[in-house]
Amino acid sequence: MTTNTGTETAIKQATSDMSKAQENSNARAQSLQLTPAADIHETNDGAVIYIDLPGVSKESLDINMDSDVLTVKGGVNLNTPDNLNPTYMDVHAGFYSRKFTLSPELDSSKIDAKLKNGVLKLIIPRSEKHKPRKIEVKVA
Amino acid sequence: MISNMLRFSPSFFEGFDEVLAPEFARIARESSRVRAYPQVNMGVTDKSVEVYLFTPGIDASELEVSLEKNLLSVAGERKEDDLDKDAIHRRERFAGKFKRTIALPEDVDPDKTEAIYRDGVLHISIAKKAEIQPRQIEVKV
Repeated sequence: MTTNTGTETAIKQATSDMSKAQENSNARAQSLQLTPAADIHETNDGAVIYIDLPGVSKESLDINMDSDVLTVKGGVNLNTPDNLNPTYMDVHAGFYSRKFTLSPELDSSKIDAKLKNGVLKLIIPRSEKHKPRKIEVKVA
Repeated sequence: MISNMLRFSPSFFEGFDEVLAPEFARIARESSRVRAYPQVNMGVTDKSVEVYLFTPGIDASELEVSLEKNLLSVAGERKEDDLDKDAIHRRERFAGKFKRTIALPEDVDPDKTEAIYRDGVLHISIAKKAEIQPRQIEVKV
């Protein structure tokens, strides 16, 4: 008898855990974000970041700088017909988000951003005092 | 605005988090970084088959799209950016030649195909054959 009640309680607990997991998973599905692929190059002048954001237009792109953290967000809009019934999907979410922590050597006030064919190019210059300099050697 | 198609989220790994290994779910999500290029979403309406290929960073004129019977092929090349870099700190984006072939439902009409490239997404719309499109049948009294 005691065992039975114990089992029952355990089942109830498990069921409630499962429905909780289900709820959480539904909530997550709605807020599901994609991490876009990025390349980071360094040049003499600073850093260049390329981010793949297919389906993101200039209007739905959001670039934000908060202290040393650069955040890039963008919503995907495919302009699908209303009565479309999905049959196959590699891309399950409609939102990209990615954060980059910038080195203090870079001048975040002078970021140049270009969006072309779904690729965002960010050019972040090195701050003046961190630019490589040539030191002349004087002859004594 | 999230489109109709993207609202649908049948991810196989969803819900694995709490029940099984959180690590597994994390890897599943992260693995989207090491992905096939191009990624594809596909759907059907009463009248057409709609294919969306995520091909960022391509010049539309360099894309080769062909349709033979019900096999849709998209081929192209994505060249590497910036050859004058001093160092690469991260390299996740695909570069090189690609080809993806997609089997469409048998009932498409290859003569009625439209392709548009916008914001790095190639959208191909192929009409279904007229005779298989749903029709309203009138009931005569």
